[in-house]
Amino acid sequence: MSTHITVDPITRIEGHLRIDVEVDGGVVKKAWSSGQMFRGIERILIGRDPREAWLFTQRFCGVCTTVHAITSVRAVENALKLEIPPNAQYIRNLIVAAHAMHDHIVHFYQLSALDWVDVVSALKADVPKTAALATSLSNWPGNSVQQLQATKDRLAGFVAKGQLGIFANGYWGHPAMKLSPEVNLLAVNHYLQALDYQRRVNQVVTILGAKTPNIQNLAVGGVANAINLDSDATLNMAKLYKVKELLDSAKQFIEQVYFVDVCAVGGLYADWLKYGAGVTNYLSVPDLPLDAKATAFDLPGGTIMNGDLANVKAIKSFEDPYFQKNVSECIAHAWYAGDWTRHPYEEESVPRYTAYEPDGKYSWIKAPRFDGHPMQVGPLAQVLVGFAQGHEPTVRWAKRTLETAGKVAGATLTPAVLHSTLGRHAARMIRTCVIAELADKHWNLLAENIGKGDTRIFNEPVFPKGEQQGFGFHEAPRGTLSHWVVIENGAIKNYQAVVPSTWNAGPRDAKNQPGPYEASLVGNPVADTGKPLEVLRTVHSFDPCIACAVHTLDVDSKEISRVRAL
Amino acid sequence: MISVLGLGNVLMGDDGFGPAAIHALEADYSVGDDVEVFDLGTPGLDLMPWLADVDRVVIVDTVKSDLPPGTMRIYDKRDVLRHPPSVRVGPHDPGVKDALLTLEFAGRAPRELTLIGVVPARTGLAATLSPEVGAAVQPVVSEVVRILERAGAAVTRRTNPVVGVPWWNRSARDRLEGV
Repeated sequence: MSTHITVDPITRIEGHLRIDVEVDGGVVKKAWSSGQMFRGIERILIGRDPREAWLFTQRFCGVCTTVHAITSVRAVENALKLEIPPNAQYIRNLIVAAHAMHDHIVHFYQLSALDWVDVVSALKADVPKTAALATSLSNWPGNSVQQLQATKDRLAGFVAKGQLGIFANGYWGHPAMKLSPEVNLLAVNHYLQALDYQRRVNQVVTILGAKTPNIQNLAVGGVANAINLDSDATLNMAKLYKVKELLDSAKQFIEQVYFVDVCAVGGLYADWLKYGAGVTNYLSVPDLPLDAKATAFDLPGGTIMNGDLANVKAIKSFEDPYFQKNVSECIAHAWYAGDWTRHPYEEESVPRYTAYEPDGKYSWIKAPRFDGHPMQVGPLAQVLVGFAQGHEPTVRWAKRTLETAGKVAGATLTPAVLHSTLGRHAARMIRTCVIAELADKHWNLLAENIGKGDTRIFNEPVFPKGEQQGFGFHEAPRGTLSHWVVIENGAIKNYQAVVPSTWNAGPRDAKNQPGPYEASLVGNPVADTGKPLEVLRTVHSFDPCIACAVHTLDVDSKEISRVRAL
Repeated sequence: MISVLGLGNVLMGDDGFGPAAIHALEADYSVGDDVEVFDLGTPGLDLMPWLADVDRVVIVDTVKSDLPPGTMRIYDKRDVLRHPPSVRVGPHDPGVKDALLTLEFAGRAPRELTLIGVVPARTGLAATLSPEVGAAVQPVVSEVVRILERAGAAVTRRTNPVVGVPWWNRSARDRLEGV
């Protein structure tokens, strides 16, 4: 007898992600991922100025603002075959790097760690024992007895008030929670400290982007950061050194805290290294371009099919036809008119909502495919594609992670364990370590280039008469993001964004191949169908972000989301 | 320090009320160094850095309600925190309530928070406000100014208001015609 579970947070007026699973004998047998909001937002760009498209695209999503801005200017530059000055590449790269560091720290500590960490259990922790454990794992100065005691007291005071506030909806005491009170306390301590470090990297984006969220410094053709080392009003040495100081302190937190915490969770929940693989086709694109023409990159891209790392195929440039030709989207199971599979330049989005039909149409998300295959995107794809190509920092941090987590687990861990729910968390941390190092490198590249007397930041775009097509991509925190633009006589004629969470959260396609979320849930254990913590663990490991576009606050609602088990 | 934060998506019709109100406030008033005014879009949990360690916060947003569209409602921190947050499916579902609760736990939430909410008529794809909700912009700006004045913050009506439509209401044709 199987149980059907629906997890559907219906408290917001516009829908979000809905997950349905069929559980039999304590194991997920079938899963459906459904986007509950129409995302035809690109239509608003038709007829607009291509030079201003990035202002609009960065409002597609409230969390992924920067990434849609960067990708949009790249798409228009690609259509115009426009190069940008090296300073503009480096400044954009620093924003990209800082945004990714911020995003990943928030994801782990504020958004998903509590799937693994039992906050209430931390109250039973022995503080000196916790401090001793922390010292054995890391040199981090924030793990002293005094600090841990303060965190424990704060938590005790909070719980004593009889309400758990931000922790009210957690599955505390759930049988799938396995960490000792000491490890839980250490994690809560870092949860609090992470708030500071996410703020520091966020400040980097504010200094370089003039504002965040929604940076102001981009332009088709470069950036708008005037550089004059002697002026307070422009990007000068004082601001550059402030950026460096902020990046360095975040790097220390990432290496001494985030790295250690993920290795510990990975090692202590080693049984979860066998769940959640799902689709093992991976896609990532190259990023952090090193020159004006973007012929060389600091982060590699490519594809891996069926988990076969030996046969990785590289994506090499912003023009690479291997990427351009192979992307399509299918609407066989999505609420649009028709059942086509089309290239983004040829797409249209005519909404046609019917009912939620698990065997028919059941999502607003289209199903992106690469050469007809579903692909997993995100940090795991980034790390595996880098690892398979021998990308030095990726290989080094991946090996260090497997070694450290292996020691905690008392087992030898191979890269194969990364194809899993916890592998996605590990990969996100590995990627963050790699990016923290590269941020430092690109800061130096920028400082050296300015030091040579090069202050160029912008090449004026010129729009020829007639039609141009272009695509831009960016390897965003959640994975491969691409924008596809058709320009006619200087105005936008068509625009499509193929976003990372669409690759991962998309529904089945015309051949009934499930998307990555759907495939990854199959085989997951579920101990308590009323509290499907394990389902949330796997879905959260992808860091879904599909419908931040509407925001209306529901102050009066008493409804605590809907988890139904039938 | 007092922060005035407009929340909402300018591409989703009335959901863009917060940013539109911020645009109107900045067009008509200048503020002193003790006031920060931001259009933050829909930042989810990334709202935290804008709330952490700030003394007073005024948030302008749309709110779900059965009252007629365009109605202005004012809430304080206790109202916002009255009900627990929901189980999150997407880690980016959380919003104002979650950001505030996290900072309450960290002991870094604003001492005072006022939410000025307006009931939307429609939140579909559009870069403009409905007439009912558009009519609420000036009353909300006046309310923000009253709150700032009551808090003793420097806020002055500009003698020459900044004119110009927000970028989200411009088209390529406007540029070509030099509007």
